[in-house]
Amino acid sequence: MSAGSGRRITPKSVDQLRDVVAACDRTREAVAIEGGNTLRGMGLPPARADVTVVTTALDAVLEHEYRDLTCAVQAGITLASLAESLAARGQYVPIDAPFARKATVGGTLAAGWLGPRRHLLGRARDYVIGSHVVLADGTLAKAGGMVVKNVSGYDMSKLYVGSFGTLGTLVRVNFKTLPLPQRRRAFVAKLPEGTRSRAIAQIAELAIAPAAAFCVEGYRKAIDGEDGTDGRLFVLLEGSSTLIERATRDLRSALGKAGVPETTILDAGAREAFERVLDATVACISDRSVTYHALGSPESIAVRSIAMRDLAHRHELFTDVLADVMNGDTILRVSRRDARAFSASVEIFDDELHAIEPRATIVAGDSPVRSSLLVWGQLPSGLAKMREIKARFDPNRTLNPGRFVGGI
Amino acid sequence: MIAERLIEAVGAEAVKTAPEDLAVYAFDAYTQSETLPSAVVLPASTRDVAAIVKIAAACGEPIVARGAGTGLCGGAVPTGGGIVMSFARMNRLLELDVRNRRARVQPGLINLELSKQIASTGLFYAPDPASQKSSTLGGNIGTNAGGPHCLSYGVTVNHVVGLEVVDERGEVFTSDVDDAGYDLTGVLVGSEGTLGIVTSAWVRLLRLPESVRVWLAAFPDVESACEAVSAIVGSGILPTALEIMDSVILGAVEAAFHAGYPTDAGAVLLIESAGFTDEMNAREAEIRAIVRAQGALSWRAAATQAERDALWAGRKGAAGATGRIAPNYYTQDVCVPRTRLPEALRAVERSARAHGIAVGNVFHAGDGNLHPLMLYDKRDRRQVAGVVEAGNEILQTCIDLGGTISGEHGIGHEKRAGMNLIYSTDDLAAMARVRDVFDPKRMLNPEKIFPAGAKCGEPL
Repeated sequence: MSAGSGRRITPKSVDQLRDVVAACDRTREAVAIEGGNTLRGMGLPPARADVTVVTTALDAVLEHEYRDLTCAVQAGITLASLAESLAARGQYVPIDAPFARKATVGGTLAAGWLGPRRHLLGRARDYVIGSHVVLADGTLAKAGGMVVKNVSGYDMSKLYVGSFGTLGTLVRVNFKTLPLPQRRRAFVAKLPEGTRSRAIAQIAELAIAPAAAFCVEGYRKAIDGEDGTDGRLFVLLEGSSTLIERATRDLRSALGKAGVPETTILDAGAREAFERVLDATVACISDRSVTYHALGSPESIAVRSIAMRDLAHRHELFTDVLADVMNGDTILRVSRRDARAFSASVEIFDDELHAIEPRATIVAGDSPVRSSLLVWGQLPSGLAKMREIKARFDPNRTLNPGRFVGGI
Repeated sequence: MIAERLIEAVGAEAVKTAPEDLAVYAFDAYTQSETLPSAVVLPASTRDVAAIVKIAAACGEPIVARGAGTGLCGGAVPTGGGIVMSFARMNRLLELDVRNRRARVQPGLINLELSKQIASTGLFYAPDPASQKSSTLGGNIGTNAGGPHCLSYGVTVNHVVGLEVVDERGEVFTSDVDDAGYDLTGVLVGSEGTLGIVTSAWVRLLRLPESVRVWLAAFPDVESACEAVSAIVGSGILPTALEIMDSVILGAVEAAFHAGYPTDAGAVLLIESAGFTDEMNAREAEIRAIVRAQGALSWRAAATQAERDALWAGRKGAAGATGRIAPNYYTQDVCVPRTRLPEALRAVERSARAHGIAVGNVFHAGDGNLHPLMLYDKRDRRQVAGVVEAGNEILQTCIDLGGTISGEHGIGHEKRAGMNLIYSTDDLAAMARVRDVFDPKRMLNPEKIFPAGAKCGEPL
């Protein structure tokens, strides 16, 4: 979340962060909250940013009681550091977000990032059992606790996750953790002409659901390998050795039926290959690209992702497509060689895209044209309530003003 | 009066005002309200709900939304009078989307009914509170209900993907976890009817597992059973359920259900694992080795579906079965980090003994969610006082162990004072800000969740 101008402060303690925010709130200075800055392409930049508060120095692992399957971390820790720390005890939290070495836990949660394994494992928000948040006036508000089941009052963490820092700054997050899968295996295959929708249908029917599955078109720099006529397929399997062996047989047989005879197996590099796919979801082509994320349904993914791509082609835009087979999401990057031509094309495209995909949001793009696009897609039914929530939590509009949906 | 206006809006058959009808709605499964509601209304549609809310708002009457009344902390009881809204007539499965594994339901649909109605599709609805034969999905959403299987499947909020809600002014809005904006769904679930009235919900469905195994390990005492739970979880195995029953409960359950539980053990650990057939034998061997190392006396595998069902029927009927021991029971619903279970159980035993109350333990050990059942006779005032005092001590002990005052039942009316024990004034003020947005006049289920007192935003 880029501030552009103004002072940058990287608090070394929660108390210091509270002081900075409270002082800004008193003097009516706007505060931009920044973690790893990896998801700055979501939504719009804050309309004002007198001070940018960077959370990356608050990066400690506070607790990890592995027999309780819980941990507590400061929100500025990176996803990679969290993963590394938990892996020492064979555990993890399934947050699948791009640039894990840079992205912070707090920033990724605040952005409500939706990862590809959520169809199987749930959303990142489902693993948050407690949080500490610094509100606009510097108050520290705690929610939840260190227990895995808790219905004592409102689950305030749900409100802070996905709020883009507009209600408060996450400084501590308590997670429930999962045991790491024993094994991981990735499959990569070229999709011969006309096999794409059959492959998608076959994957949906698999008894052992893959952890993630994508049909990929383009993204050549980000993802190794060449496209077939219909692009490539990436499938991630996770589980015990027994399960992976059975799932491998099932998957090969299913893809064979779909007309995809050849697959390459990656065992050692499976995690890295998966990370490259995640990184691609927000990769930009200088200031000449914008990436849309359209949530759909597994049933309609084959048709909808093609419809989106074809629409872009009609506007003379280049496309890269990641079709998330398991969740039904489409990630579509549109670009042109010339920045000015790009801006002109994408403005018209944006309108027409939202006619067929009303909820498509923008997740990446450094182009200035972003501010004239429907970055949040269709406005939600509860927007009036959301505005009131913002007004109650941040009456002076100190925190990330304008960063969020409907100008919140 | 208000009854006439309600009848005009939703029809005479949907409005009850006879004193004997009103009395029925002054209770839940634990609490009896001293105040009768002024009317009970049974809406048949979202439009009815909106009309009722508008009339209530105009007359200054609060509204208490009610499912099946199985709650144990007074959440659905009209402690401040007002209108009770029962969802008994809004009890249908509205849409089933098998391909995308989701369903739209009305709030009055009974939890178990949903899974029964969709069984032929190979899908099921995961949250399964022990009350699932009678409790409704609307009530489950209100309390963010859990159940024995949330160890691996999660609680209600993890399975609700969208809501249709009538707000305090009678306006309808929807929320969807995939909408841009704040996660209203996540906050509304578990808000115990204080932020809006849910009139339909989209819920996520899961595929029925290929294979389900249930095993029973007997232990000399509850403590060793708890240690086994931590050892299993710490080893990287996450079963679908890990439930413990102590000897007091085992005696009652066997007498009532003849489920096949040993009555000579100090405790049993009921283990359920679900997954793929190929993995199950290895899983059984792993878990069995762990429990043996933790001092298990015996091991039994349920051989058939009927045996599995019998063991679960005993577990889910455990609270009711204590009727054979004492005329009344009071259950606490506290949650601690699971490694602190042995300490929490010792404290339960100590407090109950100090107050001369018998206690049995049946609980979701995998989640650290305790349900000590204090067994007493409510005609004996000394025993009643003892139960209350022991209950408060247990609550405090669990907080001291890093736990919370409700794992899955909710706060309702009964546990309001406890909120001050786990949250600071600032923490509660943040919750009150949300309440101020959705229910500024405190017309939706007043006197619930928030402790009395102006400091937390609740009018005195």
